[in-house]
Amino acid sequence: MKKLYFVLAALLVASMVLTACGPAATEAPVPAATEAPEATEAPTEAPTEAPMEIDCTSPDYFCVGLVTDVGEVDDKSFNQSAWEGVLAAQDSGIADEVQYIETKDAKDYAANIQLFAEQGYDAIVTVGYAMGQATAEEAANYPEIYFIAVDQFQAETIDNVSGVIFNEDHSGFLAGALAAQLSESGTIAAVLGTDLVPPVVAFKEGYEAGAKYINPDINLIATYHPGGLDVAFTDPEWGATTTKQAIDQGADVVFGAGGKTGNGALIEAAGNEGVYCIGVDSDQWLSVPEAHPCLVSSAMKLITPAVSQKINEANDGAFVPGNHIGAAALAPYHDFDSVISDEIKAKIEEIAEGLKDGSIKTGYGG
Amino acid sequence: MQSSIIGSSAFLRFLKRWGVNLGIGLVVLVTIIWGYIVNDKVTVAVLASTVRQATPLVLGALCGLMGERAGVINIGIEGQMLLSAFIGFLFNVWTGNLLIAVFAAAMTGALLGLFLAFMSVSLRMDQIIGGTVINILALGLTGYFYQAGLVTQGKLQPIALGSLAEIPLIGPVLFNNPPITYTAIVLVLVVHYVLFHTRWGLRTRAVGEHPRAADTLGVNVYLMRYANVIIGGAIAGLAGAFLTLEAVGSFERAMTNGRGFVALAVMIFGRYTPLGAWGAALLFGLASAIQTQLQFFGTFNIPHQFIGMLPYLLTIIVLAGFVGRTHIPAADGEPYEKE
Repeated sequence: MKKLYFVLAALLVASMVLTACGPAATEAPVPAATEAPEATEAPTEAPTEAPMEIDCTSPDYFCVGLVTDVGEVDDKSFNQSAWEGVLAAQDSGIADEVQYIETKDAKDYAANIQLFAEQGYDAIVTVGYAMGQATAEEAANYPEIYFIAVDQFQAETIDNVSGVIFNEDHSGFLAGALAAQLSESGTIAAVLGTDLVPPVVAFKEGYEAGAKYINPDINLIATYHPGGLDVAFTDPEWGATTTKQAIDQGADVVFGAGGKTGNGALIEAAGNEGVYCIGVDSDQWLSVPEAHPCLVSSAMKLITPAVSQKINEANDGAFVPGNHIGAAALAPYHDFDSVISDEIKAKIEEIAEGLKDGSIKTGYGG
Repeated sequence: MQSSIIGSSAFLRFLKRWGVNLGIGLVVLVTIIWGYIVNDKVTVAVLASTVRQATPLVLGALCGLMGERAGVINIGIEGQMLLSAFIGFLFNVWTGNLLIAVFAAAMTGALLGLFLAFMSVSLRMDQIIGGTVINILALGLTGYFYQAGLVTQGKLQPIALGSLAEIPLIGPVLFNNPPITYTAIVLVLVVHYVLFHTRWGLRTRAVGEHPRAADTLGVNVYLMRYANVIIGGAIAGLAGAFLTLEAVGSFERAMTNGRGFVALAVMIFGRYTPLGAWGAALLFGLASAIQTQLQFFGTFNIPHQFIGMLPYLLTIIVLAGFVGRTHIPAADGEPYEKE
């Protein structure tokens, strides 16, 4: 009987360990700091055999760490885009050592940042609006480290922090304009994460303004996930059933903006004849192949180039603190290139120009 | 004189017994008919969404109540659903055969049921701990083994039931659904029949109420508990299959998002009966669908979080105000030791 308890205990521990280190451990384990703070997601099989000894405390090496928002680094969304920016910096030889930590719980933000800081990393990328406070606090504790804060608007300039932000309302506006032109029923829908996250609100407001810019009488039905930050982006079935509800009442273009919740919306729309869908954040043609039958474009914010540019700046010692406004645009039309008329394409380009030079306003954020 | 008093007291007793259900049913019915007259498309959309959101909840609740009726508390439904959803998804990716995938998901649920039964019946472990083990195990295993980039070959499609599907309102809502949704409805009726109208059901309930007495009369307590928890597990597996193979068509980490726990609430709400659980799940699904619809209309200028409380608020009101005392199986959660 005792043996059985032992087996159960072993299983339980094993599953916890598996949850904790996840894919991070399989790719390249983070060398654990000697005084690792508690409650972090430091992989347990610590002091490891890195392929070559890189001492991040030494000034010879430029090390970049990335802390994800709650979620995984392969989330097909903003965590992944940011990580690809870090990898790009490594490929171009700027960063000698790159690592990531996947945050499992919002209370671990600070601890995960410290894990990199204590190992002498030179630049730390923190991903997600929710990490803003932790980033600002740790930046004060470690003034010699550069912080690249994705999606975190900097109200006050801190010398070693750059907030990488995007005009989500611009790409949302383009998505709305595209949707309004494609819609035949006159009803378009948006299925969104939570309005607790400002970028999501910006996408939505832009989308509405863009649709109304084309057709002031358009019937726009939009809904946020009712749950909190912990579930709003990880509920594909809610996204899917909400999309179905919208399609059943006549919507023929669906904008899915909200991580995995939005992915559920796209996949659901793909199963309905004559319905178009628009993705978000990155070019979801690449990340959600199930949505190919409906995916006309995606309202992108180009996180990857912005992150690698900031890493480059940090390495050159030309780091610009404050806010860095990255590009926001529509993704390519891919297979729908032949479906969308030249007239619509021209209109979209015209609006993009207008947004850039300020002659068209989205009405978001004053 | 005498007879009218008897008549009224019988009526009162009837009201006391069925009044809540009748009241809720009547309100819902009137609302639906009114909605259909005002805007038929929206009403059909809301009701279809109701049925869809109720499906995983009622399946989970069936799993829970089969276990608890036999005296085993199962709080591992969430984990059973999640791991089954994942295994079903993997089988869909590997074989491309949805039937095999659904079967694999149900088997996964059943295996986890066996695991739970082993812990709580044979090892006589604390059943809450046993269920928690399953939840954590499922979260860990799926989180570790899931890789992005796995693409499935489609999902289960709706099957229209001939001319039934053409009845206005009811047709598109009830008779044009994918297979697991139909299965859920059939299972509600089957489990109800088996629990309350067969020898197997009587024995199951006896084992859950007074295992010693059942044992004395020659009922194999362990066997009944094992069997019910395993069958319940297979039903929870079906709920997982619903998520990945019928509803979404893809897997994401932690995608059950608490549905297993809501299913537990639905089970208690429904007084540990299949029909009650079904009603509760539908009410919960309706509240969710309505809160989405209220946001769609966008005419109410109140924060959406407030509307988002609707399903839970409704549950609390109905639970506290109307359902009254629920009879919990007397030996629920108590391990049985043979003498």
